[in-house]
Amino acid sequence: MTNQDNLAVLSAFLHKTQKIDPALVTPEALLEDLKVDSLLLLELLFEFEDRLGVSIPQDIERPKTVGDLLGIVEKLQAGKGT
Amino acid sequence: MAGARRVAVTGLGLVNPFGGDLADFFGRMLRGESAIRLFTREDTVTRPLAVPAVRCTNFDADAELGRSLSYTMDRYSQLGTTAALSAWRDAGLPRTRDAPRNDWGVSWGTALGGTLTFESGYIELLRNGRERVSPLSVVLGMSNAAASHISIQLGLGASSATYTVACASSAVAIGEVLSKIRSGEVTLMVVGGSEAPLSYGVVRAWEAMRILAGGDETSAVRACRPFSSDRQGLVLGEGAGAMILEDWDHAVRRGARIYAEFAGYGSTSDHDHLVRPNVDGQMRAMRMAIQDGGLTTDEIDYINAHGTATREGDPIEIAAIRGVFGSRSGAVAVSATKSMHGHMLGATGVIEAIITVMSLASQEAPPTAHLDEVDRDCTGVRHITGGSLRGSLRAALSNSFAFGGSNTVLAFRAAH
Repeated sequence: MTNQDNLAVLSAFLHKTQKIDPALVTPEALLEDLKVDSLLLLELLFEFEDRLGVSIPQDIERPKTVGDLLGIVEKLQAGKGT
Repeated sequence: MAGARRVAVTGLGLVNPFGGDLADFFGRMLRGESAIRLFTREDTVTRPLAVPAVRCTNFDADAELGRSLSYTMDRYSQLGTTAALSAWRDAGLPRTRDAPRNDWGVSWGTALGGTLTFESGYIELLRNGRERVSPLSVVLGMSNAAASHISIQLGLGASSATYTVACASSAVAIGEVLSKIRSGEVTLMVVGGSEAPLSYGVVRAWEAMRILAGGDETSAVRACRPFSSDRQGLVLGEGAGAMILEDWDHAVRRGARIYAEFAGYGSTSDHDHLVRPNVDGQMRAMRMAIQDGGLTTDEIDYINAHGTATREGDPIEIAAIRGVFGSRSGAVAVSATKSMHGHMLGATGVIEAIITVMSLASQEAPPTAHLDEVDRDCTGVRHITGGSLRGSLRAALSNSFAFGGSNTVLAFRAAH
């Protein structure tokens, strides 16, 4: 999956769980503004792990923006060789 | 208790299977209308379920709570929080977080908590072969989740406790706050309970005990017949109820409508057997509630019975009522409303307490539905059958007797 695909996954997840308008989910957007608290972040990481078959380490730095989160996912995908 | 504060019931709210409001629900109870239907579930592992049950099919958690909140809740918390918010509105309380409410709290009951969450986790792990479950499973499934959500939503800073006492859970949750309000430790409490027990495993477990009533599409509506000679067992149900209890003077000062006085609480243990009820334990609980409320047996005009419609349980409860009321037993009106709303386990105590309070407030008590012929083991009291009972109702009891031998009785007094 490309970064654009991952953004689409994120948008769909936030729409499903929080009714967030997908137009608001841009790389610059703050996760906090999209109602992503610590609990929802866990669920979100779980969603990516599930879809991409990657394992996100426990000790990642907590992402602040949508772009930060996509960066983490992208790095793991690269490491996995996909 | 001399000098102690009195406790007013100032708000009532519920999520019920008929889908309407409190007045609609109580009207249906008075008319003897059953909400029991055949419940089928086929998304399960082996045999599909098909049992009479009570479900809140019109309940829309997203519409009631908003998607971002409902998403973080098991169904039992969704039902419970919705009922609590409804009671809050009914009591005329504002949703402001400005005023400090550190002497306002929550006391909640549930028998099974987030059983649907745990079941879906097991299905993922054991049937679908996945290795992990959602990280929200813990906070969805925990048994104090509903109480916590209610505290958060309403900004209540006093204790937020959850009681799990099987079928008496929410009755205990209500009863345990009486002394706290009397003593002045707290001023106002949101009390009640919620249950969403219709998971595959839970229904199968109750079936295995051979005490679930059977039925098909046609007969399900009459499946639960407490005190009847042809009774055949209980019907599981989901639902939630909440009451606002507050210091009487506080209620008067803010001009609140007072439905009834929560007067007395009795709580005993049979210390005898896990599932076989005990006349003495039930009698002690009723006597304790009457005495605690400063009442006499002569003033009790209505009893909302535990009455689950099991062969063994019903006659024992009637024997206990006869034991407490003696020669007056034949004048004490009794009904078992589980014949209509089913057995909502941890939520059933509050649903029946709400019906009891509404009976005192409206001076009209509901019947036991489908009671055409009282079993000879269950005679000796004034069974309300065929239609509601209108008359002077001064005080009333709501009985909840749990597996495990925990007996809980709530006594209410008419406000006027």
